[in-house]
Amino acid sequence: MTRPVEDVEQTAGSERAWCDPDAPLPNPLPRPPGELERLEKVWEVPKGWRFFTRVNNTYIGMYYTATALLFLVLAGILALLMRAQLAVPENDLLDHDTYNQIFTMHGTVMMFLFAIPVVEAIAVYLLPAMLAARDLPFPRLSAYAFWAYAVGGLAFFCTLFFGLAPDAGWFIYPPLSSYEHSPGLNIDFWLLGIGFIEISAIAGAIEIVVGVLRTRPPGMSLDRMPVYAWAMLIVGGMIVFGFPPVIAGTMLLELERAFHWPFFVAEKGGDPILWQHLFWLFGHPEVYVIFLPAAGIVSMIVPTMARTPLVGYRWVVLAMLATAFLSFGLWVHHMFTTGLPHVSKSFFSAASMAVSVPSGIQVFAWIATFWRGKARLTVPTLFVLGFLFIFVLGGLTGVMVAVVPFDFQVHDTYFVVAHFHYVLIGGMVFPLCAAIYYWAPTVSGRLLSNRLGYSAFALLFAGFNLTFFPMHISGLLGMPRRVYTYPAGLGWEPWNMLSSVGAYVLAAGFLLIAIDLILHLRFTGKVNTDPWKAGTLEWLPLENYATRSIPRITSRDPLWDRPQLREEVDQGAHFLPGTATGRRETIVTSPIEARPQYLLVMPGPSAHPALAGAGTAALFFLLTVKQAVAAIIAAAFTLVMIFRWVWETDRSGRHPPVDIGGGIRLPVSMTGPASHGWWATVVLLLVDGTIYACLLFTYFFIWTVNPASPWPPSGAGLPQPLSGLLETAAWIGSGALLMLANRFVAALPAKRGALTASLVGAAVLALGAFGLGLFAQLETGTRPGDSAYGAAVYTLVAWQGFHSVVLTILAGYCVARIHARLLDPVHRATFDSTRLLWLYAAVQGIASLLVIHLFPRLVG
Amino acid sequence: MVERPMDERAILRTELRWVIVVAIAVLIIVGSIVISSAAVVLHPPSSVERIDPTTLHVSGEFVEDNLGAVQNRDGSVTVRLVATQFAFVPNCIVVPADRPVTFRITSPDVIHGLLIVGTNVNTMVMPGYVSEVRTTFPRTGEHLMPCHEFCGLGHSEMWSRVRVVEPAAWQPDENGRVSCETPARSPVEEAPEETPQ
Repeated sequence: MTRPVEDVEQTAGSERAWCDPDAPLPNPLPRPPGELERLEKVWEVPKGWRFFTRVNNTYIGMYYTATALLFLVLAGILALLMRAQLAVPENDLLDHDTYNQIFTMHGTVMMFLFAIPVVEAIAVYLLPAMLAARDLPFPRLSAYAFWAYAVGGLAFFCTLFFGLAPDAGWFIYPPLSSYEHSPGLNIDFWLLGIGFIEISAIAGAIEIVVGVLRTRPPGMSLDRMPVYAWAMLIVGGMIVFGFPPVIAGTMLLELERAFHWPFFVAEKGGDPILWQHLFWLFGHPEVYVIFLPAAGIVSMIVPTMARTPLVGYRWVVLAMLATAFLSFGLWVHHMFTTGLPHVSKSFFSAASMAVSVPSGIQVFAWIATFWRGKARLTVPTLFVLGFLFIFVLGGLTGVMVAVVPFDFQVHDTYFVVAHFHYVLIGGMVFPLCAAIYYWAPTVSGRLLSNRLGYSAFALLFAGFNLTFFPMHISGLLGMPRRVYTYPAGLGWEPWNMLSSVGAYVLAAGFLLIAIDLILHLRFTGKVNTDPWKAGTLEWLPLENYATRSIPRITSRDPLWDRPQLREEVDQGAHFLPGTATGRRETIVTSPIEARPQYLLVMPGPSAHPALAGAGTAALFFLLTVKQAVAAIIAAAFTLVMIFRWVWETDRSGRHPPVDIGGGIRLPVSMTGPASHGWWATVVLLLVDGTIYACLLFTYFFIWTVNPASPWPPSGAGLPQPLSGLLETAAWIGSGALLMLANRFVAALPAKRGALTASLVGAAVLALGAFGLGLFAQLETGTRPGDSAYGAAVYTLVAWQGFHSVVLTILAGYCVARIHARLLDPVHRATFDSTRLLWLYAAVQGIASLLVIHLFPRLVG
Repeated sequence: MVERPMDERAILRTELRWVIVVAIAVLIIVGSIVISSAAVVLHPPSSVERIDPTTLHVSGEFVEDNLGAVQNRDGSVTVRLVATQFAFVPNCIVVPADRPVTFRITSPDVIHGLLIVGTNVNTMVMPGYVSEVRTTFPRTGEHLMPCHEFCGLGHSEMWSRVRVVEPAAWQPDENGRVSCETPARSPVEEAPEETPQ
C-alpha cells in the first residue's frame, strides 16, 4: 500500500485553506515521479471481453446513454408505423391488435425505457466530471442499475415480436387491464417490465442525490454548484417521492391480476379511480423529472454560448424547486373529466396554471442571458433556440388544457397528443440533441460535424412542427386518441396526412444525428479539450479517474475566473493528485459548504453488478411467465451476486488519515450519520416510506368509496385485539434488540456472541410478528379476494411480511460478516444500514397495526 | 477571457430585485386563480354518484327501456346512455336545440369516454360511477360522438351520433321519449293539433 504524500507544507493558520482563493495551491509542483502512474494503474479499465466488469462512471454512463438512445430509435420506428397506418382513412396496413400493442409500446418505451433512463444516464456520465469527483459514490450500484435496465428492457421490447406486448395504453387503466378484460400475459409484461425499470431508476436516484450532495470538490458550496447539478439533485428527490406511487400501483394491479385481489373492481368495493390516482401521482412529476434535467442542460449551454454567466442563477434554481413542489399537486388534472368534486377541480386547475410560472421564469432567464452576452450561433445554440420556441408553445397549450372548461373539450383528443409532444420533444429531446453536440468533445476530444448538425436541426425542427402542429387541429375537430383508423369525410384527412409526412421528416433528422455520431464519436479515454471556452469543471482535462487533482473551487465559473486552473489541476497542484491508499478513492465533502470530510475508498471492477442486474431482469421475466421454480433460482442467484458484491465493500483496512494537500488530513472512510452509506440508506427509507404511504392511501381510499356499508364491510371480521397487542410488543422488542446490538457492535470483537444472539432474536421476533399478524387475519375468515377491504388489509400484512423477510436476510448477512471479522467498531456500515432499516420497519409495523385494529373500531 | 459586464455584487442585487418582482407577479396570478375558482362560480360539470355496474342492466334507471332521450316535467331533456365494449346504447340520439340537455352515462365493463364533436361535452365513463354532463345545443345538425378512452380491441369502431333538431320538431311519444327510429314529425303537421289549447 502506498503511503500518503508526506512532503506537503502545512499552510500555517489557514483554517479555510480548502476554499480560500488567496491561499497557496494545495500541493507543490512538480509532483513526485510515479504518482501519476500509480493513479492510472488504480483506475485502469478492464479490456476486451471483460468489458461488462467495468464500473467507471464514464463507461457505464456511455453504455447507459447509448442503450437509452437505442430505445428512442426503436420507439421512434413504432411511431413511424403508427403514422403510416393513420396517414389515410380506413387504412389496414396494420391490424387492430398490432396497432394497439404498437401505440402502447411506443408510449411505454419512450417514457420508461428512453426518457427516464437517458436522464439518469447522462447524469452518471456527466456529474462526476462536472463535480470533479473521481466517480459517483456507488459505482457498482450504477453498473447494476444499467445492466438490469439494458437486459430487462431489451427482453421487454422483444415481447412485441411474439404478440405479447401490452395493449391497453401506456397508463393501462383497469378494469380494461385487469384479469377479466385482459386475460393474456400482455399486461403482466407491462407490470413486471416496469418493475425493474423502477428499481434501476431508484438506484440511480440514490446515486445522484448522494453524489451531488457529498462528492463535490472542496469549496463548491451549494450556491456555486452548476445549475445542471442542481437540476439533477432536485430530480433525484422527485424520483424518490414520485416513483413509489407507481411501484405501489403496479404491485396492486399485479396482485389483482394474479390472485384476484379486487382493488379496482367496483362491484367488490374497489375503485378504478384508485389506479388513476396512483398512476398520475407518479405520472405528473415524471413529466418534470424529464424536463428539469433538460432545463439544467440548457442552463449550462446558454451561458457558454452567450459568453456570460447565467442571469438569475438563484432565480432559476428557485424556479426548479418550485416546479418540483408544484408538480406533486397536479396529478388530478389528468382526471378532470372523471367526475371529481368541484373544489378539488378548482385547486388542481390553479396548481396546473401556477406551474407555468416557474417555467416562464426559466425561459426569461435564458433569453436574458442571450441578451446580455453575445450569442454564437452554434449547433447547440440552434437546438436551444428550437427548444425555447417549441417549449413555449407547448407550455401555452398546457395552460389552455389546465383551464378546466377547455379541457372538457379536448380531453383525450389529438389536441392533448399534440400538447404533450410539444412539451416532451420540445422540452426534452431538443435539449438532449443540444447536449449531444455540446458535450460530445468530452467523449472524443473533438466536435461533431457542424454541417450534419445544422441539417439535422433543420429537419428536426421542420419535421417536428409539421408532425405535431396539425394534431392540434385534428384534435379540435374531434379526433379521439388511440383510434386504429378513422372514417373518411370528417375533415381529418389532410391533417393526418400532414402529420404522417412530418413524422418521416423528423425521422430523417434523427438519422442524420445517428450518422454524425457513428462517423465522428470515438471514445479515447483521455481528453484535453475546451472547444466552447466554457466555465465549468467538465472541460478540465479528463481521464478514467476524471481530473488529475481535485480543484479548489472559489466561484461559480471556475474556468472563467481562474484561467490557470486547467494547468494547475492537470499538473496535480490541487487536492489528492494521486492515490493515497493505493485504491480508487474520492473526497467526500459536507453537503452545504463542501468542506472536505473524509476519503471515500471505492470498489473497483467487478462482474457481480452485471450478473446481479441480469439476474434481476430474469427474475421478473420468469415471474411473468409463471415459472416459479426458475424464478426462485433467479432470485437466489441475484441475492448471491448482490451479497458477493457488497461483501467486498467497507474494508478500508484501518488506514491512517491521509494528506490531500493544503495541510488537510482526512480520515479514510467514515461511519455514522456523516457517511455516504448512511445517507443512501436514509434516501432508500424515504422511498420505502413513500410506498408504504401509498398503501395506506389505498386502504383509506377504499374506505371513502364505501361510505354506506359498515367498516369493515359486512362479512369481514376484525382480528383479535390480543394479537395486535402481541405483535406490537414483538416489534418493540425487535427494535429494542437492535438498539442493544448497537452497543455490542461498539465493543467488538469482545461481544461477538451477544451481538449474534440479539440479531437472531430480533429476526425471530420480526418473523413471529408477521406470522402472528397473518394468522390473526386468517382467523377472521376474511380472504383478500372477498372485497377491496380484504385486499387492502392483506396487502398491509404482506408488505410488513416482506420487510420481516428482508430484515432476516440482512441479519444473516450481518452475522456472516461478524464471523468473517469484517464487521468491527470501525467498519460497521452494514450494521448501521440494517439498524436504520430495522427501526423504520418496526415503526411501520406498529403503524399498520393501528390502522388494521384501531381505525375500524373508531369509525365502525 | 470572458467579459464580465457587471460585477458579482451588482448581479446579485439585480437578481434579488427581480426575485421580488416575480414573487409579486406569482402571488397576483395565483391569487386571481384562487379567487376566480372559489368566489366566481366558473365550475365545470361534476358529479360523484356511485352505481353497481353488475346490476345496472336489470334494475334502476339504466335498464334498456329507459335509455335514450326523455323529456322531463319542466321541459328539459335527459339522455341516458350506457357505454359498453364496443358501442353506446342507444347508438343514435335525438335532442332539441336551445333546451337544456342532461347526459347521464355509465359503463358496465371498462372505462370509456365520450366527446360530442364541436361541443364542450367531454367526459370519462367509469364503471361504478354515473357521469353527468349538462349542456345546451345552440344549433341544429348532426354531431359525431366517439369513445375517446381506449377501451380495447374495438375502440376505434365505438361511435355514436347526436342529432340536434328544431325544438318544435322534437316531439316525445306517450312515454316522453324520442329516438332516432321514430321519425320526427313535421312541426307544420302538428301545428293544428296544438292550437286549440
